[in-house]
Amino acid sequence: MADTTITMSVRRVDALICIIDIQGDITAFAEPELMRAYTEATEPSAHAIILNFTGLEYMNSGGIGLIVTLMIRMNRLKQRLLAFGLSDHYTHIFELTRLNEAIGVYPTENAAVAAAARER
Amino acid sequence: MAQLLEVIRRRMPRVRAQMAQTDKPTNRRMRPQPTPVDIAPDDPLVAYFLDTPEAVELERLRLDSPALRELKAAGVAIVIPLVSQGELVGVLNLGPRMSQQDYSSDDRGLLNTLASQAAPAVRVAQLVRQQQIETRERERIEQELRVARLIQQTLLPKELPEMPGWQLAAYYQPARAVGGDFYDFLPFSDGRLGIVIGDVTDKGVPAALVMATTRSILRTAAQEGLATPGDVLARANDLLFPDIPPRMFVTCLYGILNPHTGALVYANAGHDLPHQRQEGGAIELRATGMPLGLMPGMSYEERETILAPGDSVLFYSDGLVEAHNPEREMFGFPRLMTLMADWEDTVPLIERMLNELASFTGAGWEQEDDVTLVALQREKQACAPLTPLADVDDQADDGWQSLAAFETASAPGNEREVIAHVEQALAPLALPHKRIEQLKTAVAEATMNAMEHGSHYEADHPVTILVRANATEVSVRIRDTGGDQTIPEAHTPDIEAKLAELQTPRGWGLFLIKSLVDDMRVSSDGVFHTVELIINREGEHHANQNV
Repeated sequence: MADTTITMSVRRVDALICIIDIQGDITAFAEPELMRAYTEATEPSAHAIILNFTGLEYMNSGGIGLIVTLMIRMNRLKQRLLAFGLSDHYTHIFELTRLNEAIGVYPTENAAVAAAARER
Repeated sequence: MAQLLEVIRRRMPRVRAQMAQTDKPTNRRMRPQPTPVDIAPDDPLVAYFLDTPEAVELERLRLDSPALRELKAAGVAIVIPLVSQGELVGVLNLGPRMSQQDYSSDDRGLLNTLASQAAPAVRVAQLVRQQQIETRERERIEQELRVARLIQQTLLPKELPEMPGWQLAAYYQPARAVGGDFYDFLPFSDGRLGIVIGDVTDKGVPAALVMATTRSILRTAAQEGLATPGDVLARANDLLFPDIPPRMFVTCLYGILNPHTGALVYANAGHDLPHQRQEGGAIELRATGMPLGLMPGMSYEERETILAPGDSVLFYSDGLVEAHNPEREMFGFPRLMTLMADWEDTVPLIERMLNELASFTGAGWEQEDDVTLVALQREKQACAPLTPLADVDDQADDGWQSLAAFETASAPGNEREVIAHVEQALAPLALPHKRIEQLKTAVAEATMNAMEHGSHYEADHPVTILVRANATEVSVRIRDTGGDQTIPEAHTPDIEAKLAELQTPRGWGLFLIKSLVDDMRVSSDGVFHTVELIINREGEHHANQNV
């Protein structure tokens, strides 16, 4: 089968903002890794999580469903999800699905962090 | 000798003395029942007897002793202590002589001689009786353990379900004391499989009975797979709670596997976390929930993982991770995680774990708890992802040129190979990058749909892809063997409804396809189901305006 490896590492910007660096494919297979990274990012606390899509190689509808699942979970806890580093193609996908209306999508890390800081 | 009284054994909290008195010794039926007299271990009479182990007339004793008062009240005239190896093992109590005369020194000498011979015999008799009691108790415990083992082994699955493309294995080894481990498989009519593993606190028959009840409740609550794992555990908890004995509870994990997609949806009532071995390492499958039977009205988190070909999941009980070696170190979760990550499937997973357990605990290990292991493995794909075909297009359409024809095994993830191959086939056309990316995503989604819904991820039902082009358009045909199936109406996904949990988070595939290509044509001929995706070779597509 195709290479479906995915790695996610968590960087803490400050006590309330975390960045998850994504490297690889976001498909349904990525759920355990995404939830692991999310748990790591929110322990002990995080108000905003920023997904770094710079290393994204492939995302399918299963991956989009996974992002929606994450958003549902974060909405319940009144946490904010932001993103940056999307390629033109996946920016277009986010627009088609209107994910960009639910997730704050920014061109750079600095812009995403600044937006998260403003929303505290 | 006037009245001979019984000797009651020592080595009990109290020495119990009984005396039979008779006015007419020849008439046995007229004998009154002996009146037992308990002598407490701290009664001064005990110390006196040990210090002066010979016949003594009670009227001459001056002790503040409750036992002495009771013996006198019972009509005892003379007491001969039976002392063996420094312990008071009993007493001989005699009433007054029939002649009403005092006991003579000869009488006392005879009684002392009798006592010196009787005491060791009484001691031996006591030891024999004690041993008989202990033997009976051991036999009772053994019988109880046999019953517990019988209950457990009767209710554990006799056979493993067979699923094409999957390997299932189970191992159960009860500890001598028989814990409350159990596992179960629930094959549903739609091909999915329910998997249960659990552990009842306590041991022996009580644990086995709770295990049997829990198993029945879970089977009922599972409702032929109609209920989700979280709902099943919640229902089982509410049914179990009113009747479970105090201080007992059940840890339990319940998952439903879709063997076609590899999706395992699971919920966990406080059981040890299963470990999934996947490409690149191992992960714990986490889901939160309280053990069954502790509190009513609990809810259980549901999670899902996908087992790709080659992936495995190990379900296990605490008898594995809590096993100790001679240095009293525990087997532990970190060791299990490392073993799972490093495991190569040249040796079956359960065999690998048992070898490690044996090596860790060493020879002569007395198993502390039941050890239960259930291993689920998705077989690797036997065939290569892509197979070139001469041409699957049997319709000679004017102006169309075939660029590539190949088939792929129906397995999750194979769409990645497909789109790479499509991109390679289209390279000579020098299409705009944006158009290529859009077509790749549409082809990936259509291929995934074909593999999942048309071929049900069955390896012998491949999906074929034909890439063609003419002067103005590019066509990609994706064909599966689900032509006889009714295609369900797809709901238009709505992000707001999904975030409000009114729609499933998934269900984006068809929407993306329609949004990213200029035309989509669907046909079925009773055998094959074909989706044809078409894009214009130049300019922006406009299909999404109509989505």
